[in-house]
Amino acid sequence: MNLRFKRLISQVIFFLSTNLGFRLEGVFPGLKTGFCYPFFYCHACPAATSACPLRSIEIGVYRGNFNWKFILYPILIIGFVGVISGRAVCGWACPIGLLQRATGKVAIKLKKKYPFVKKLGQYRIEPYLRYIKYVAFIGLVVVTPILIGFMFTDICPIGYLVGTIPISILNPGEFTPNEFFYIAMGVFILFLILIFTVERGWCRYFCPIGAMLAPFNKISILHVSVDKEECVHCNICSNEACPMGIDVPNMERDPECILCGKCIEACPRNVIKFERT
Amino acid sequence: MQKMLVAQVALLVLIAVGFGELVFEFSVYEELTSDFGVYDDIHDAIVSTLCLSCIKLDPVSRLDFVFETANGEDHPEFVLENLTKGPLFIEYRSDVCKACDDMAPIIKDIFKLSFEKEETLYELVNYNGSDVHFYHINLDHASKIQWDSWPIYDKDHIKGVPMFVVITVKYNRGIIEPCYTAAYGTLGLDTDEERRNLITDMIDDGIGLHEDNHAGYKYP
Repeated sequence: MNLRFKRLISQVIFFLSTNLGFRLEGVFPGLKTGFCYPFFYCHACPAATSACPLRSIEIGVYRGNFNWKFILYPILIIGFVGVISGRAVCGWACPIGLLQRATGKVAIKLKKKYPFVKKLGQYRIEPYLRYIKYVAFIGLVVVTPILIGFMFTDICPIGYLVGTIPISILNPGEFTPNEFFYIAMGVFILFLILIFTVERGWCRYFCPIGAMLAPFNKISILHVSVDKEECVHCNICSNEACPMGIDVPNMERDPECILCGKCIEACPRNVIKFERT
Repeated sequence: MQKMLVAQVALLVLIAVGFGELVFEFSVYEELTSDFGVYDDIHDAIVSTLCLSCIKLDPVSRLDFVFETANGEDHPEFVLENLTKGPLFIEYRSDVCKACDDMAPIIKDIFKLSFEKEETLYELVNYNGSDVHFYHINLDHASKIQWDSWPIYDKDHIKGVPMFVVITVKYNRGIIEPCYTAAYGTLGLDTDEERRNLITDMIDDGIGLHEDNHAGYKYP
């Protein structure tokens, strides 16, 4: 069984376990836990099993009334996962990663067909755009809830995708848009454009949970390593495999690596591998 | 390599201790507590409650009075007792809730009351010459009886806050029984004036029904 297929199975299993909260009258009571997901998913989804870690942090800092339990709990869960496997959850477990795996195929085709799309990932400014996710995390998940009560989850495109849309479909005529509905819809449309034009665009530039996990790549037990002495810098791994646009031959515990293993499979000399410690 | 391993193990131990402390609330001086600390808090405050701001939607308010409680449980004792003197208005909210913060000034203004959001408050209010039992219940600080009353009156099964409930009495197939209506969020309305009007309409309907029917109501 190749790595790609193993990863698909893992993503499907995690997707199903993320959505065990649905209730089937007389058949299944629905599983609602008090855990936070270590990846991006919204508790407002009618089938959600657990809580969004961002919401917990937002509640913990809301208007400066610090509730340390709500702040530390998701950080510890993400920290545990991060120390073990870095950002592997982005590649192997996150349902939004699974979605982008599908849309990434469109992004690759567009990249081949339209030079403009290909150029998107090659501008000099591109590596700096990756810092947006850290700014989004600090700014919208921590600072604005403290100062003005505005939260990232008010306009979160994932909440719109897995919360707003299914609830509107399941309960026609029962709900009306609130003040953030149309802003969130705009953000959601931009999110769709992004993931259809840039492979793993959300993970690269905007995911606040990716921003929380990224620093753990520097110390994670599991990571991807390149044998630099054997590498001939053919760049197949970077140009044709890596969905995160990393310069794989020169990477050293790169914070952007989601441990998907595509570079390992693509390397013709087998000098890239998963490594422990 | 060795240094990295030490750092990884140290971090994992730190995380495990921190997680244990948060979930089990134990320390070397205390025994294990029976509940699961922050696990239960997250379950109650986030997972089991529909976050209206997360879904960017407000439930449509339908102000019909119904007899059947939302979860089939009996009306709580404090409701049945107070119904002998007047209708009840209950405001359910939580600590972190933008819609609750938006609605709070409107409710305070209608009842001419002043209170903190963390407070759980009961007042017998004179509202335009009629007695109304006012309850402000913050679910993050409520007693078990008060918390349990929330799903009883969740008429549209929204499981969200803020929820505004008016409980009164009405004629039902030969007997006078408690009935209630509920509205949610910012009521699906855009302006404070519209929201205020809808809440006062709810209260006026509750008072009207109580005045017409309270003579036949018997506190069980």
